[in-house]
Amino acid sequence: MSDKPVNHARAAEHFIEDTPHLQFHDERLWDMRQKRDAQMHILPEWQELREEASRIKEHTLSRLPEYLEQFETNARKNGIHVHWARDGAEHNRIVGEILKAHNARNLIKSKSMVTEECDMRPYLAKQGVTVTETDLGERIQQLDDQLPSHIVVPAVHKLTADVAKIFAKDYHTDPEIRDPHLLAEAQRQAARPVILHADAGMTGGNFVVAETGTFVVCTNEGNADLSATVPNLHIATIGIERLVPRMADMGVFIRLLSRSALGSPITQYTTHFRGPQKGGEMHVVLVDNGRSARLGMEDFWTSLKCIRCGACMNTCPVYRRSGGLSYGAVYSGPIGAIIDPTFNERKYSTLPYASTLNGSCTNVCPVKINIHEQLYKWRRVLVQHHEMPFVKREIMHMAGKLMGQPRMYRAAIKATEVSLSTMPRFVLYNWLNPWGKHRENPHPVKQTFNDWYRKNRETAAKPAAAPETKK
Amino acid sequence: MSTARDEILQALRANRPTPENHPLPPVATLGDLDASRERFITSLKILGGDVLEPVEGETLDQAILRRHPDAKVICSNVPEARGTLPVEKVKTPQDAATIDVTVVRAPFGIAEMGSIFLSEAQLPINSFAHLGQHIVVLLSVDQLTANMHTAYQERPEFKTANYGVLMSGPSATADIQGVLIRGAQGVRSLSVWFT
Ligand code: SF4
Repeated sequence: MSDKPVNHARAAEHFIEDTPHLQFHDERLWDMRQKRDAQMHILPEWQELREEASRIKEHTLSRLPEYLEQFETNARKNGIHVHWARDGAEHNRIVGEILKAHNARNLIKSKSMVTEECDMRPYLAKQGVTVTETDLGERIQQLDDQLPSHIVVPAVHKLTADVAKIFAKDYHTDPEIRDPHLLAEAQRQAARPVILHADAGMTGGNFVVAETGTFVVCTNEGNADLSATVPNLHIATIGIERLVPRMADMGVFIRLLSRSALGSPITQYTTHFRGPQKGGEMHVVLVDNGRSARLGMEDFWTSLKCIRCGACMNTCPVYRRSGGLSYGAVYSGPIGAIIDPTFNERKYSTLPYASTLNGSCTNVCPVKINIHEQLYKWRRVLVQHHEMPFVKREIMHMAGKLMGQPRMYRAAIKATEVSLSTMPRFVLYNWLNPWGKHRENPHPVKQTFNDWYRKNRETAAKPAAAPETKK
Repeated sequence: MSTARDEILQALRANRPTPENHPLPPVATLGDLDASRERFITSLKILGGDVLEPVEGETLDQAILRRHPDAKVICSNVPEARGTLPVEKVKTPQDAATIDVTVVRAPFGIAEMGSIFLSEAQLPINSFAHLGQHIVVLLSVDQLTANMHTAYQERPEFKTANYGVLMSGPSATADIQGVLIRGAQGVRSLSVWFT
């Protein structure tokens, strides 16, 4: 894997050039955000739910070893094989061995971000295993050889025509189809035989219940259920942070998850796996892959509370206008910008800058992660570790000097205002001025706040401050 | 040689925040506690499910045919309906793929979400709930619970079933340009018949 920092800005530029895609992307995500808001307003207990979710998660993370052991004991009692993987390579090896022991060559798979993290598909391909994604969006991404661009809706950046083109190549459907129903039906017809002949099924796990040894999977298509109930071998890959202590805690999370994600009350399917089906075999692989280290980062450990609802992406103005693929990472959007640098600080050093720090992500997060504060903290860490791009570093350096000297700052503001109103466009809008890219600079004001204040308030304020007789 | 398990647990123990600062909150029961049939039906319809209302003098078999006139293979796992395919014929997970309509009984439903619960106790084989084209679910009104909190606290099935699915309407997707499509992979429709 190359360590070269992801050029998020350049990739976003590419995305922005294509107006129809950009506009749809922006509107679709904003629509999900608004549907989420509508759900929030229906429930007067919304903030209480968030608080409860946050506290349960923080508690669980502080006792994670105990809860993991409890889960393992209960799961084993019920016939689940439990495996532990330190990193992606170990995870892939374990999965490969299970499949080999069953001589399984066709794996059907429900969406799981952990397997993306581990880069499992190419590994299994080399072992002669065919992996077929069953989630429609994820399947589209698989056929197009792209990472998911959103954790809930992986192909959200594509339009119907894009999907028609991809399906035409692999399913031999008409490339001119513009009805999403026909395309979804083509996927259903193509997937059925693959599902019926699969040797093994794989799912992720949204939640893991320590008390009962259960893991819970939430999907809308029911594809996790198909993957788990048709073949007799079920492997689930789960991040170790996914635990909750009690079955009774699930109420809080199920009530929040889909409402935060898509604005629907619940996913169409919420499935509880506590043991293998009749005649079947079930394996759970618990994956660390950097999570235990993140738990030790004082400023960033609460990012492990994330339940992967995607609400922070849907609301983020930068994500909506740059597209998930521009992050160049498995996880995109605000939460991605926090956790990606923990995987590779240099490679993902540009991502914490892909935010306006407007705090909208923090406001919508169902488990109350202080996302925008963590983004800000990452910037500080990265500056300390010298991961800041040269131009940005120099500009910040100059800005720091300028802001430290009020008189110089005021003079600079005036000069900027003058130049904004008098300079020809080509001077303002070129590659040297990133603020002139893809946007109009602000209209120059006639009078700065400081000028106005001097004229109107400074003199008026003085006498007002004087009479200080009674307290 | 230390195992992956030991190493992970050890790292978690060394790195975790102070447990005393993060006590476990008591179990919450929040929100609307209305467990009525009306609330269930409203929620069910939001999620794309529907009620199969009986017409005067009609049997369940007739009602199913009224709703699914083209159905050839109807497989029932409840005594209330006969169907066309004896359920004993469904032995392997793949056998369920030929069914047009499956008929099952749910032990309970959740009014808040319009969800019904199914586990291996109600299914001849787990894939029975998913591989058929349509599903008709029998549900008793006194087996409705108010919301997700009450469901998880009151229903023993969550702790006893090996496989327990909450189905809230049919399989759905909006993965292609945001257009909502019912019947993506699993059942194309879900109808509830109250008993
Ligand atoms: S950080 Fe919060 S809002 Fe973002 S995906 Fe995770 S849980 Fe959802």
